[in-house]
Amino acid sequence: MFGITMAESEGGEFLAPGPNSFDFSEVPLFHIGGLAVTKPMVQLLLGAVIVFVFFYAAARRATLVPGRLQFAGEAAYGMVRNSIGRDIIGSKDYAKFVPYLVTLFFFLLINNAFASIPAIQFPTFSRASMAYALAGLSWVIYNGVGIHKHGLLGYLKLQSVPSGVSPVMYPLLVPLEFFSNILVRPATLALRLFANMFAGHLLLILFSTGGLFLLEYGGIGYVAGPLAWVLAIAISFLELLVQFLQAYVFTLLNAMYISGALADEH
Amino acid sequence: MDGNLNMIGYGLAAIGPGVGIGLIFAAYISGVARQPEAQGRLQSIAILGFALAEALAIIGIALAFVL
Amino acid sequence: MQNLIFLAEGTEPTEGGHAPENPLGFVPVEFALSLVTFGILLFLIWKYVAPRFEQTFAERTQAIEGGIAAAETKQAEADAKLAELEKQLGDARHEAARIREEAREQGAQIVAEMRETAQAESARIVEHGKAQIEAERQQAVTSLRAEVGALATGLAGRIVGESLEDEARQSRVVERFLTDLEASNGAASGSVN
Repeated sequence: MFGITMAESEGGEFLAPGPNSFDFSEVPLFHIGGLAVTKPMVQLLLGAVIVFVFFYAAARRATLVPGRLQFAGEAAYGMVRNSIGRDIIGSKDYAKFVPYLVTLFFFLLINNAFASIPAIQFPTFSRASMAYALAGLSWVIYNGVGIHKHGLLGYLKLQSVPSGVSPVMYPLLVPLEFFSNILVRPATLALRLFANMFAGHLLLILFSTGGLFLLEYGGIGYVAGPLAWVLAIAISFLELLVQFLQAYVFTLLNAMYISGALADEH
Repeated sequence: MDGNLNMIGYGLAAIGPGVGIGLIFAAYISGVARQPEAQGRLQSIAILGFALAEALAIIGIALAFVL
Repeated sequence: MQNLIFLAEGTEPTEGGHAPENPLGFVPVEFALSLVTFGILLFLIWKYVAPRFEQTFAERTQAIEGGIAAAETKQAEADAKLAELEKQLGDARHEAARIREEAREQGAQIVAEMRETAQAESARIVEHGKAQIEAERQQAVTSLRAEVGALATGLAGRIVGESLEDEARQSRVVERFLTDLEASNGAASGSVN
């Protein structure tokens, strides 16, 4: 598959894997019109299809006493609904945001998990632009919700003016709070997801191709190469955890931002 | 050896958030150990603190690539 | 480092043709595609999945709460019935006690009545006996008096040899004798007293 050719192409004079391993623009899978469709784009669509098919199949014949598939769907849906939505946003307002949070979490989860699924093995959101899109949407949603509830000025006051601080500190704190709550949040949201996926995948490539290179190098490489592969396997398991955690954190922070925007006072 | 001085800078910059995240989860763990029933509340606070501390590392990596 | 050079004869890495891409670079196509894909997925989930799950959750909650309500109603009914039964039992106990009390009173009354009747009867019998005895005594006295007279006269006639056949005389004599006897008796008893 594609991932393997990528790994071999790294083999050169041991070119350490770098940002280039994430650039598919030279090797599109196919073209639609003038648009080069690359692997991450296909993954994105595939992820969406998987999430929808799973939930649709689970919810299609929803009965009081759930079958196995429905039970799995309900457990997944209920996990995000209750532990992220209800606990963070609060039982008054959370219902409106549950579809968004559920979609977000599982879309992220499956796309992150692509990094560990054989024959795909590429985390979709290590393409920064895709992470920007979701973070931008989150930014629009939580700010929109806040402005809808408090009005533009009220919302800006809520997000920028810290309570319980003497007004003397306002000139210092207000710009800082505004910067932190309005500008930095979406950037960190996008970059956290991107950087974790990017770094994890980079590590995996490094250990896999490095192991191969060391084996071909001979000498001490006969020991170090397999050791690198063992480490690669260990890192794969770590990555499984990170994939879940990043999807969870992204969704949780979305819920927190929404809850903060809905809060009556700071 | 091919590389970028930015990345060394980023490596140094990541020490701070690393220590910070460690402290946050240390406090979270000891909090849960003392009061296991408070886990639900502590968890979201810990993750919020973790996100804030990690934001520094993330700003660092962004600047390392951009500058 | 010669191995490196040897290996470098392999395929040229992707950077061959174009300048290395900044990983943080903005790719409009990917941004738009991500947004659109997520938007469509969100719409589908929002439209087709979430309502059904929420409905199922609501139905389940309702079923459970309905079950609880039904159980509570049943419990209340059972409590009411139990209370009613206990009340009935209490009433019955009370009634039984009352009846027992009544029966005791009645029994006592009956016993008293019986005793009274029996006493009256016995008194009556005693009275009757006494009266009978008295009557019989009178009768005996009367008949004795008649017989004693006849006997005495017969005896005296025989002893005296004088015929006392004449009825009138005879009875006169006897009367006189008895009167004397009674008088002497009375005198004797009077003197004794």
